[in-house]
Amino acid sequence: MSTNASTENIQEQIVALLPRLRRFARNLVRSPHDADDMVQIAVERALLRLDQWHRDARLDSWLFKILRNAWIDEVRSRGRLAKIFMPEEAGEHVGEASIDREVDRLSVESALARLPEEQRLAVSLVLIEGLAYKDAADVLEVPIGTLTSRLSRGRDALQAMLRLPEGDHS
Amino acid sequence: MNVSDEQLMAYADGEADEATRTRIEEAMRDDPEIGRRIAHHRALRRALQGAFAEVLDEPVPQRLVAAARGAPAGNVVDLARARESARKGLGLRRWQPVAMAASLLVGVALGYLGWRSASPLVRSNGEVVAGAGLADALSTQLSSERTPGGVTTGLSFRAKSGDYCRTFSLTGTHSNAGLACREGGAWKVKVLAQSAEPPANSTAFRPAASADSAAVRAAVEESIDGEPLDQAGEIAARREQWTAPARR
Repeated sequence: MSTNASTENIQEQIVALLPRLRRFARNLVRSPHDADDMVQIAVERALLRLDQWHRDARLDSWLFKILRNAWIDEVRSRGRLAKIFMPEEAGEHVGEASIDREVDRLSVESALARLPEEQRLAVSLVLIEGLAYKDAADVLEVPIGTLTSRLSRGRDALQAMLRLPEGDHS
Repeated sequence: MNVSDEQLMAYADGEADEATRTRIEEAMRDDPEIGRRIAHHRALRRALQGAFAEVLDEPVPQRLVAAARGAPAGNVVDLARARESARKGLGLRRWQPVAMAASLLVGVALGYLGWRSASPLVRSNGEVVAGAGLADALSTQLSSERTPGGVTTGLSFRAKSGDYCRTFSLTGTHSNAGLACREGGAWKVKVLAQSAEPPANSTAFRPAASADSAAVRAAVEESIDGEPLDQAGEIAARREQWTAPARR
């Protein structure tokens, strides 16, 4: 186990990473409150397992990985409730889309939410969190080739949905 | 020269090795299309980062900071229990704002939801209830059936209150998911979540069930008593016009 001093130091580093953990969590679970619950569970797990963190590994990647695994556990425990949802149904809470800028933001968010999970996470880790391919592959526990192909497909799908300037690029 | 899209993607992400980088930069001089494709990749990254930047500026809830600093012993260890209490808390926290949101939506729904025959929601005595079309669907449709009007019914269950409740989604110019419970002869809408944009016309981008409509899911989790009804249960409930039978 680490000394108290270095444990405290890591705890402060985790505190500094909380905003990014919250952001990543919102691409796992879109309700901000649920996302924060996931962050809390992940952080608690991380503290219990500090001895498993290799000091040369990036702390952010390690925490993203714990967060993702905590979310997978959560999804399994809620499996039955998946039946609630029908195809094509909706996402945003009412009242959030009142001004144009918000609508813009939401449309990117909803486009991302429509991606298959594996592509959504690849996009989220690389393009939003700015992880290197190898770190993102490590978080998702897949080979780097798998990561790049998910990323590429996710991008194509997003381009198609968002029709960003200079639309077609096939 | 031919450059694969994956190579361009890696270049745009700063992940291309030096040889590829040089090759792409040379190719770019001859073929403006390559620069355009790279710009495209970067525009997408900017759009995504812009969309999610605000989260970083939000104040971090104190409970998370406390958790990161190692909350007092006994608060931390039992994950199952932590999850359970988080879930319960979530249900309670959520009912209130969601009910409010549903009433806010009424005006919006009357105005511009793509609902042909009738408004899906009407206000009655300060509560939001299903309008004729939606009420009819909730009363008659079995789960996973869909009316031409665009109502799909999802899950049916008995709530802890004893009432029957059903989840539904509406497809119009905007799509919505919600939860309604049969109380006093009307379908009272407990939760309505609205999407900000029309559903994609492709089925390839079906939203992940776990990510969407968390409000509906939370409300179901909070109120469900036992298991959802199966088809026989729905048929029996429908025969009784969704009037809650007395408790055994």
